[in-house]
Amino acid sequence: MEFSFTPEQLMFKEQLIRFAGKEIVPKVSEHDLHSEFDADSFRKLGEFGVLGLHFPEELGGSAADVVTTVLAGEALGEAGVDGGLTLAYGAHTFLCADTILCHGSAAQKEKYIPKLASGEWIGCMGLTEPGAGSDVASLNTRAQKADSTYILNGSKMFITNGSIADVAVIYAKTGKDLKHAGISAFIVEKGTPGFSAGRDLIKMGVRTSHTSELIFEDCEIPEENLIGQEGAGFLMALQTVEWDRSALLAPFIGGMTYILRKCARYAKERYQFGRPIAAFQATKHKIADMKIFIEAARSLCYRIAWCKDQGRPLNHLEAAVAKLFMGDWSLKPANDAMLLHGGYGYCHEYEVERYFRDSRLAPIGGGTSDIQKRIISKLM
Amino acid sequence: MDFDLDNRESSLIADLEKAIDTSAEKRLRDLKSGDPLECLNLFMDYLTRLAEVGYLSVGLRDGRNSTSLVAAQEALASISPSLFLSIESSTRVFGRLMALYGASGLKEEILPLLEQGRYVGSVALTEDGMSVENEPFKTAAAVSGDNFLITGNKDHVINGPMADRIAVITQSGEGLLVALVGTETAGVTVGERYATLGYEGTPVAPLQLEGVAVPSTQVTGPFEPAAILKDLRRWEDQVLTSASLGLMKRSFHVALSHARNHTRGGKPVIAYQEVAFKLAEMLTIRQTAQLLAYRAAWMDETEDRERDVLINCAKTFCAESAEQVASHALQVLGGNGLIRGNAAEESYSSAKYLQVAGTSSEISRMKIGESILERA
Repeated sequence: MEFSFTPEQLMFKEQLIRFAGKEIVPKVSEHDLHSEFDADSFRKLGEFGVLGLHFPEELGGSAADVVTTVLAGEALGEAGVDGGLTLAYGAHTFLCADTILCHGSAAQKEKYIPKLASGEWIGCMGLTEPGAGSDVASLNTRAQKADSTYILNGSKMFITNGSIADVAVIYAKTGKDLKHAGISAFIVEKGTPGFSAGRDLIKMGVRTSHTSELIFEDCEIPEENLIGQEGAGFLMALQTVEWDRSALLAPFIGGMTYILRKCARYAKERYQFGRPIAAFQATKHKIADMKIFIEAARSLCYRIAWCKDQGRPLNHLEAAVAKLFMGDWSLKPANDAMLLHGGYGYCHEYEVERYFRDSRLAPIGGGTSDIQKRIISKLM
Repeated sequence: MDFDLDNRESSLIADLEKAIDTSAEKRLRDLKSGDPLECLNLFMDYLTRLAEVGYLSVGLRDGRNSTSLVAAQEALASISPSLFLSIESSTRVFGRLMALYGASGLKEEILPLLEQGRYVGSVALTEDGMSVENEPFKTAAAVSGDNFLITGNKDHVINGPMADRIAVITQSGEGLLVALVGTETAGVTVGERYATLGYEGTPVAPLQLEGVAVPSTQVTGPFEPAAILKDLRRWEDQVLTSASLGLMKRSFHVALSHARNHTRGGKPVIAYQEVAFKLAEMLTIRQTAQLLAYRAAWMDETEDRERDVLINCAKTFCAESAEQVASHALQVLGGNGLIRGNAAEESYSSAKYLQVAGTSSEISRMKIGESILERA
């Protein structure tokens, strides 16, 4: 066993932290306050090469390995980029673009991947429905074959980037009597008649990402927009779990590192009873607990990434373990960070308030903690 | 990066699991108030078996932890927690002390015997009312001709009742000395073996030294206190981290087995989410603790500058997790778990020791917090 990063990986991480710290982080607070997506920063991430980091070079990417890609997510969090923008990046790159990259036709890849890698287009993925979350087989959106087209009807819920996406990967039933085997994936472009986004949801956290409902009313798309084969959609969705449990979790770890630094500085500057609160044991203990969480979570995340780099099929138990730990065990240190700041921690000006809200998504998004426990208990 | 155990590491674990019988813990526990010689004989038997599979020499002479060692330690600690604690206190704490702080003559004599499983060592460090971090030792050595005369009291001396030699950490005018004494040496009194909460098969006793004359050939030092105490604490903490992994493995497996085989309402209790979800949490904690312990060991092996903080993080997380996992295991076992002698009950009883011994959870958090604050 060994746990080292290459010098190139570490250098890239440092560069990305510097870039994000200068170009993105100064605007985070304002965007969060107004629940605005930072389109400018998103495009800059594309220019820096983050959005298509693991894509092939000929399609506008950098052909990075998975560990490096996960490291990029951690770097963004560590720089102070908010959970909203990193979530938008995750939905765009891993849930949308990567599905086209891995399963799409040559024409689909050529058409969409370069634009998604650069950030010229924004992507989203629609799987969850108002009545179908973790129980994917029960989804109701239908894709009816009609000559050389498919006609989509139904709706999707909690779709990150939904209202701003130029291109969406949508999962729908093509075989109505089939469960998982009846799910297919389609590409739907913005502006397609019958395709619309509902209002953006007002969320507790990750506010700079837009989350909305997607509505399909006799939405007709060409048959070339089917990704792969009919009925193969469930496995495609499942494949995104590898990214969900590594690259999408990494910003939470990086974010905690950022907040830990903030807490340490605040503790040294804030005086009570004639001495900095850093001198109190209870403060040191809170800081220690944050550090313990970060170090404990980190290896879980990189284990998924490393296994993917080795070309191994996803170990669903290990993936669920990573997600469950990140979700449930992150709540206390996030809470501690806010408590350490006292009244200031409850105010928007101090970033712990935002981190606290953002971190609440970890045990919910991408499969709740209860779902992870269900997976683990079935597999152990 | 590589998250796999290699073939050598896997085969060491397999050999070790063959060498130590699963009844080891019960056999040791049954001797807790019995004849010390019988106890020693049983330990020597296990030591010989461990020597044959190469377990005792890993990380002994260089004082470094490694992922290979942690993996093997976890296996032994899960078979017999008491045997593990005793053997590691001898090999990886006393042995490393000899390897890095012992005089060359002593090293040549003792280290081969430790590797061959023919020697039991012990370290007498703790004193009543002492805090390693803040208070100096009261046990003191004075020069008297070719000897040192040592007087003082030591507490919680693991292997004290059966050790070939006890390394006494003692104050001198210029720093700390390591003095080797035998239990038969005049002026040395090994107190009555403690009745302990958990780790009942590990012999632990107080040690009294009254003007004990130790030849200068058996004494090394003086050493700068901070350096030697830091090393001793690190070795102890590493052993306790692996001990935690062993307890977690032990209590998780007994709970899982019970949940699969015990039926209620016509189905195994694992079919109920209340039980299944507890097991899922236990597995999550255990896997997380394992990876953290491995990474801390790897950092020690590679002399990473974050090593000390990671070792503290791993020790704290693993020790507290051991209690949590054992507690869940007891809940899963229901009434069966409350009967003395099952792995969950033993693990639950032993887990508290891990948070108290070595660097306690409280001191560990202080150290972690202070290291972060210093850099902020």
